Amino acid sequence: MNTSDTLECGHSLAELSAYLDTGQIADPVHVETCPECQAGLASLRHLSELGRELLSSDVAEAGSGTDDWMQSILDNLRLELRPGRSIPLQSGNPQDTLWETEGSISALIRSVADALPGTAAGKCRLHGDVTTPGADITVEVEIAVVYGHPMEERAAALRQELAETLAVQTELTIQAINITVTDVLEPPHPASPADATTEEQP
Amino acid sequence: MTEPMDVGAAAPASASAASADLGILAEQLLGVVQSVEGVSSVYPAQPLWQSIAGAVLSVVTGDTPALITLTDEAGVLAVKTRIAVGTSRPAPAVAREVAEAVRRHLLPRPAAVDVSVVKVGV
Repeated sequence: MNTSDTLECGHSLAELSAYLDTGQIADPVHVETCPECQAGLASLRHLSELGRELLSSDVAEAGSGTDDWMQSILDNLRLELRPGRSIPLQSGNPQDTLWETEGSISALIRSVADALPGTAAGKCRLHGDVTTPGADITVEVEIAVVYGHPMEERAAALRQELAETLAVQTELTIQAINITVTDVLEPPHPASPADATTEEQP
Repeated sequence: MTEPMDVGAAAPASASAASADLGILAEQLLGVVQSVEGVSSVYPAQPLWQSIAGAVLSVVTGDTPALITLTDEAGVLAVKTRIAVGTSRPAPAVAREVAEAVRRHLLPRPAAVDVSVVKVGV
């Protein structure tokens, strides 16, 4: 078994992808009750939708040289779909212990990024000691953007959206949100021979 | 590390009666947790991957694993639950409200409530 492709619950992204395609999996009860599997399925569905968007605009045929972008996203998904560290929350009673899992926050960050049209989140990381209340935390997000969507506006909007969301949904002390556009999925260039001979290369 | 509640030590006249009481109580608490505004789902309190036997049993029987676990820790009833929270309300506030609702339901029994938010959003 390729353990790098396997979540802590034992399922792999390949299995979840097959489940999305066929509806068949060995233990459907588990999938329905496992938050890691549910988060994985949500991300795979988004990737599938984004893939359809790319295909519909013929971007996929452009040979943009960034065919590894989806693999990069999947690599990060494998890492981030784990529960991760337990992030303590303030409780109203000293006998109680309240937590958010790091995985739930990573998935939240991913969902915020994915909600922007033509955008797919790659790496989503929380840097810093999230297990210590008040510790300075830096959020690192990498995104792929489909050509035609303005990158700077997209990054600024995402940063603002993430800041507001994390302020509401966590008790983390966010010091910075670093967003990197790692891939721009370009449309095809005109295919005529004339274009091929006169086009200047960057 | 805690162990599942020893029903024989829970004082009721028989183990089966105690087990039934705990089952009823867990069911009641599940309703309490689910009724808190903002809770969108309740997941098995003990991840299946932590219990091979439980995972195998679940696959074979199709039974849903326990969503609320109760353990006895020196006379204090420890309640553990894992929840998903929508984005309509702040997750930390929802977690606190869940703990308070569980504690209120158990009064006057001493309790320690462990709430993990394992999913935020839809």
